[in-house]
Amino acid sequence: MPYSFTQIEKDKGRVISLVFLSLILFYFLTAFILYISCKNLLLAQYSLKHFDHAYHWGWISFREAVVLFAAALVCGLGHWIFTVNNLVEKILGLLKAERLSPEDKYHVMFKNIIDEVSVATGGKNIEGVVIPTTAMNAFAIADFSGRNIIGVTEGLLARLSRAQIEAVVGHEAAHIVSGDCLSTTVTTSIFELYKSALKGMRDFFSQTSSSNNRSGGIIPVMLVAYAILSIASFMGQLLRMFVSRQRELRADAVAVRLTRDPLSLAEALRSVSSRWRGAGLAGENLEAIFIVNPRFDQLDEREGVVANIFSTHPPVSKRLNVLLDMAHSDVAALEQRLRSQQGHPRTLAPESFTHSLSAPVNANEKSWIANKDGQWQGPYSLLDLTNLGWMQADTWVKKIGSQHIEQAFDNMEIRDSFWKKSDQTTFQCPKCHVGLSAERYEGTCVYRCYVCGGAFVKENNINRIVIRSEYDFSSRIKELARQLSVEARKKLPAIDLKNASLYSCPQCQHPKTKMLRVFYTLAYPVIVDKCSFCGFLWLDKDELEILQCMIEEANQGDAKFI
Amino acid sequence: MIVGVILLALMVLSFLFSVSIYNLLIAMRQNVKNGWSQIDVQLKRRHDLIPNLVETAKGYMAHEKQTLENVIKARQQAVDASGLKDKQQAENFLSSTLRSLFAVVENYPNLKADQHMLKLQEELTTTENKIAFARQYYNDEVARFNTAVQTFPNNLIAGLFNFVKADFFEIQNPAEKEAPQVKF
Repeated sequence: MPYSFTQIEKDKGRVISLVFLSLILFYFLTAFILYISCKNLLLAQYSLKHFDHAYHWGWISFREAVVLFAAALVCGLGHWIFTVNNLVEKILGLLKAERLSPEDKYHVMFKNIIDEVSVATGGKNIEGVVIPTTAMNAFAIADFSGRNIIGVTEGLLARLSRAQIEAVVGHEAAHIVSGDCLSTTVTTSIFELYKSALKGMRDFFSQTSSSNNRSGGIIPVMLVAYAILSIASFMGQLLRMFVSRQRELRADAVAVRLTRDPLSLAEALRSVSSRWRGAGLAGENLEAIFIVNPRFDQLDEREGVVANIFSTHPPVSKRLNVLLDMAHSDVAALEQRLRSQQGHPRTLAPESFTHSLSAPVNANEKSWIANKDGQWQGPYSLLDLTNLGWMQADTWVKKIGSQHIEQAFDNMEIRDSFWKKSDQTTFQCPKCHVGLSAERYEGTCVYRCYVCGGAFVKENNINRIVIRSEYDFSSRIKELARQLSVEARKKLPAIDLKNASLYSCPQCQHPKTKMLRVFYTLAYPVIVDKCSFCGFLWLDKDELEILQCMIEEANQGDAKFI
Repeated sequence: MIVGVILLALMVLSFLFSVSIYNLLIAMRQNVKNGWSQIDVQLKRRHDLIPNLVETAKGYMAHEKQTLENVIKARQQAVDASGLKDKQQAENFLSSTLRSLFAVVENYPNLKADQHMLKLQEELTTTENKIAFARQYYNDEVARFNTAVQTFPNNLIAGLFNFVKADFFEIQNPAEKEAPQVKF
């Protein structure tokens, strides 16, 4: 596709060679300084010992310079090759990006959007990934092997409309077609890729040294790590010069040519920039690959020479104005549109599962009594029974008028209404020992027990569920969530491990190793059972909804920014 | 002698110039072809989806036989159509029947909630979008190619080697024809 103005970017293949040259120069200067200081230190010592030798400042000869340059070349080339080799995988690992799962509704939509935009570019090969976080951001990377990747966060997928996601993907695809994606990826990762690793190392050492007192051997290591860290961050800052901030404006313009929807891109930019964009997450210093800088940076919002040189993103307001001009709209109209989109209607989360059951004809006839702790209770209808909460597979039940007492699981009628025959999985409920049913919830898959209402969920699916907000919650769930968060602020609820019977994981079914009973996180102390082998989580009845509700309430403040 | 050398140089230059123009035109025509094949792939994908869609809908809407039959008929026409003009017409007709089908689907909440239907709907949405984008790409390339063929001096080469203008692929979409809202 011809973009006369992005032809400029194609010529910027020379940016990559400039970056390479500056890398060599960096190593040469380092080697030079090290060599000169060592040499003069030795000379000074020598002249101190031998009084007949006066100390002269030792300069380097041409031959030494050549050797130094060769050494720098070797180091620089090594550094370059090590970084560039399999670069995409390294960055994805750093960002903790995940492949798209074909069962997930949102992921399927995202994959489709990428394919659509790829058609608009004339068939460019683009892969998609997601970062499992509530933050909102998107990025594009490419490497020399010709792989192009567009990634978005789960938060962005959950909160933006299809048209807005399409616009964002269009922007990222624009970076890829115009070719500046490759140079940006290489330029930012030369030093920044290692910064996070070094930072982690420094934190690790500082933690271990504070926890035990034999820190003698650790201090030098910390010092070295710190020195390398500061040099790397300084060099990373310098290399930002090669990343033009105009690039983002150009990509916005090309995105509009691809998707013909400047208004959606403006809306997306406004939403993304007014929320948490991922500051503090791993990879935040690879800012140049993102659509907006993960950290809020004063410099980004300013114009002028210094900002133009060292900032990687133009002011958001400027980008918005350009896009809104194209759409013949203005900021006030945009904000009004966003506000009207905010309160999108949500359906109530399915609390009782009876609606999805093939309920028998006499489901509403109150003809059952059930035995709770030795007391007969009732009468209940079949629908009531499924909603009791304390019903177990081995609860004694009796039909009124008959003398026959049997366990719930033995009665065909009850069994049919409790446990759907279709899409039942091989997983068994760890509490009730009946088959779990696969269910779609918030666009992803959970396994529910239709007796106790517990849910068995993969850990990354939990992350996705708590981010998404298709469902609203009943006042009962909201109240429970509110109580728990108020209590948790005072004192963490206790986990009773002594008298508890721990469950074994439905997936691994290890006879001896049970699931761990832990808090989901300390901030959201919902008690969950976690399998340390397969990473699946078991949540009792309502706990999944309570967790989701708590996290949503906590994020309310964030959303009010708009 | 000098005149001869100058003439020879001019001839060589003009030959090289025409070769470059010829190559450019060939590359552009290739892009147009590529754009067309992209549209074709997506249209085929849509034709493949429709029987599935009708099968799924049938189970829920017994009273809408006519609508479903119309869709099937329109699809058959679109599959059989050959040539750009015919295709254009058949696809437009298919789009309009699909639109009326989806308008009817709104009245069947059970069908709307059907997992299979939801998946199909997403597939159809993305296919429609891909068709739109493929068309956009194709039309852009056609416009570029047509401009190149008609401007001087390319038109001399184009006439010589029989480069003819390509046709646009147009789809009547009421939403698209609407003029953008202008605000001052």
